[in-house]
Amino acid sequence: MQNALWQRGTWWPALAIFLALATITFYLILIASNWIYLGLGDTFYFFTQPRMWQRFWLTVWTSTVSTCFSLIIGIPAGYALSRFSFSCRNVFASVIDLPIVVSPAVIGAFLFGITTRFPFDLISEHYNIYIGRNVYGVLLVQFTVTCAFCARLMKAAFDSIPPKFESVSRSLGASNFRTFFKVVLPMAKNGIMASMIVVWARAAAEWEGLMLFVGASEGKTDIMPFAIYLDWNGGMMGWVVSMTIVCILMAVTAMTAMRLIGGKSHVW
Amino acid sequence: MSGNPPTMAGTRSATGDRTIFKSFFYSFTGFMFLFSAYLFLSNLDQLVVTEAAIKTREITSWGEDREVMNMFAGGFWRDAYFWKSLNLTLMVPVITTLIASLVGIPTAYALSRYRIPGKAAIEVLFSSVMVIPASSVGLCLIVMFNYGPFWNLQQQLGFRFAHSIFPGMILASFVLSFALGLSAWKAAFDGVNPRFEHVARSLGSSRWRAFRTVTLPISKSGLVAGVILAWTRAMAEFGAVLFFCGTFRELPPARFSDLEKVLHIDQADFLSVAIWAQIEYGNVEYGFALAFILVIIGGLSVYAMHRIGAKGYIW
Repeated sequence: MQNALWQRGTWWPALAIFLALATITFYLILIASNWIYLGLGDTFYFFTQPRMWQRFWLTVWTSTVSTCFSLIIGIPAGYALSRFSFSCRNVFASVIDLPIVVSPAVIGAFLFGITTRFPFDLISEHYNIYIGRNVYGVLLVQFTVTCAFCARLMKAAFDSIPPKFESVSRSLGASNFRTFFKVVLPMAKNGIMASMIVVWARAAAEWEGLMLFVGASEGKTDIMPFAIYLDWNGGMMGWVVSMTIVCILMAVTAMTAMRLIGGKSHVW
Repeated sequence: MSGNPPTMAGTRSATGDRTIFKSFFYSFTGFMFLFSAYLFLSNLDQLVVTEAAIKTREITSWGEDREVMNMFAGGFWRDAYFWKSLNLTLMVPVITTLIASLVGIPTAYALSRYRIPGKAAIEVLFSSVMVIPASSVGLCLIVMFNYGPFWNLQQQLGFRFAHSIFPGMILASFVLSFALGLSAWKAAFDGVNPRFEHVARSLGSSRWRAFRTVTLPISKSGLVAGVILAWTRAMAEFGAVLFFCGTFRELPPARFSDLEKVLHIDQADFLSVAIWAQIEYGNVEYGFALAFILVIIGGLSVYAMHRIGAKGYIW
């Protein structure tokens, strides 16, 4: 037995499968511990409270709006990053990727600087829209964190389509824009929808950027990930754990939907 | 009858059309570049202490080190806390990444090659860990380790995971960086045709030898990209560390073990947590100086990632 294990190298798949099972168990316990802690009765109690669902809908609509903005910027930017080559491309791509590589908490701090300067101070003067400790601040943070993320996912979606189809379409006389809208976008549709869901889930999970830039006002800017921190500081453990369960369910639902739509997505 | 013959429609100024097309798409990329660059550069003046800040500190009389706080960038290089925090931030993600790679590369190989039941559910599990809010991850860790059987186990063994640097902070940064690295490693192994390995085994290699000499060299660049990815994610960790470990600056020296003192990581925080704590405290220049250091480290690592040409990653 010992001999076979070492000579035929069987220890390697055994180790690999053991580690896989161990990590899966760890993550399952990590997620399931909330339910075990809270129990079924309390879960029902907190899930029927209006405070919970108010926060839930706030999370849903803010992340939907910021996902829309991210998509408007991210789809064309992802296409450009996927198809065109230009000089110093790595440098440009690195700067674009910085907001998702640097800790989001730091991004929140950096947003202080940008909102007191040129475009934003004019907006707040002329249109009476203050971007800061209100829901606009939440949207700005979510947009900043997901925009580059969206472009990166879109780049992956467009990368999976061979450029041959575009050349064929153009050689048959279609204009570049017609090719993009009639050939590239329909082909990338699944990838784009899958990425859209991931971006939405990422926006709904944003908390760290809000810590410094927005803060939470009860009922106004307390989207669910932030409300967890808020109630944690308030010592309301039942609320915290039940909201964590909702966040986990949102994430799992989004990822399941992504898999169902995107099939075998290139992203993961 | 119209002026132009119909055949002209396809040939109208193809190059001019291409230029408009390209500049349309470049404008969005350019917007993102400018937004990102402006986001970081517009904060450079936060490093300089203003008169208003000095006056505010006179009124509120924070701390005895007010002279140092009024220096450029909060005089961060004169603070032992900064050097200890930098030490910690460079050390902990490296250990985390090492553990994550040792555990994660075999796991990714198993998930990529072998028939494990419920593989779709497993992939949903690992990918949803990445979009669970960091506050939830931190809370899950708290609930898992501070209650129930794990808590009793820690009581019996006489140590704690929560609020400690060595098991705690590594564990908190491990959860997300492992999940992210796993996605890249799995993508790297998925990209390798299993037939190569079968050929090697039919020629008499053992399973381990087939993996080491065939699959590993082919998927090397993808694996390295995953390692960098796991490292940057561990570096950018904030939420889980804040929830699970808290801050260490104000804790008494007796709380830290001799090993932590020898390594100069006692009474120090993760850099992102330190930034948050300093800015909340009112030491804004100091916090932004630390933030720029984090940005430089992150920029270098993402540039390395682009140079390697990492594929199958999302962060």
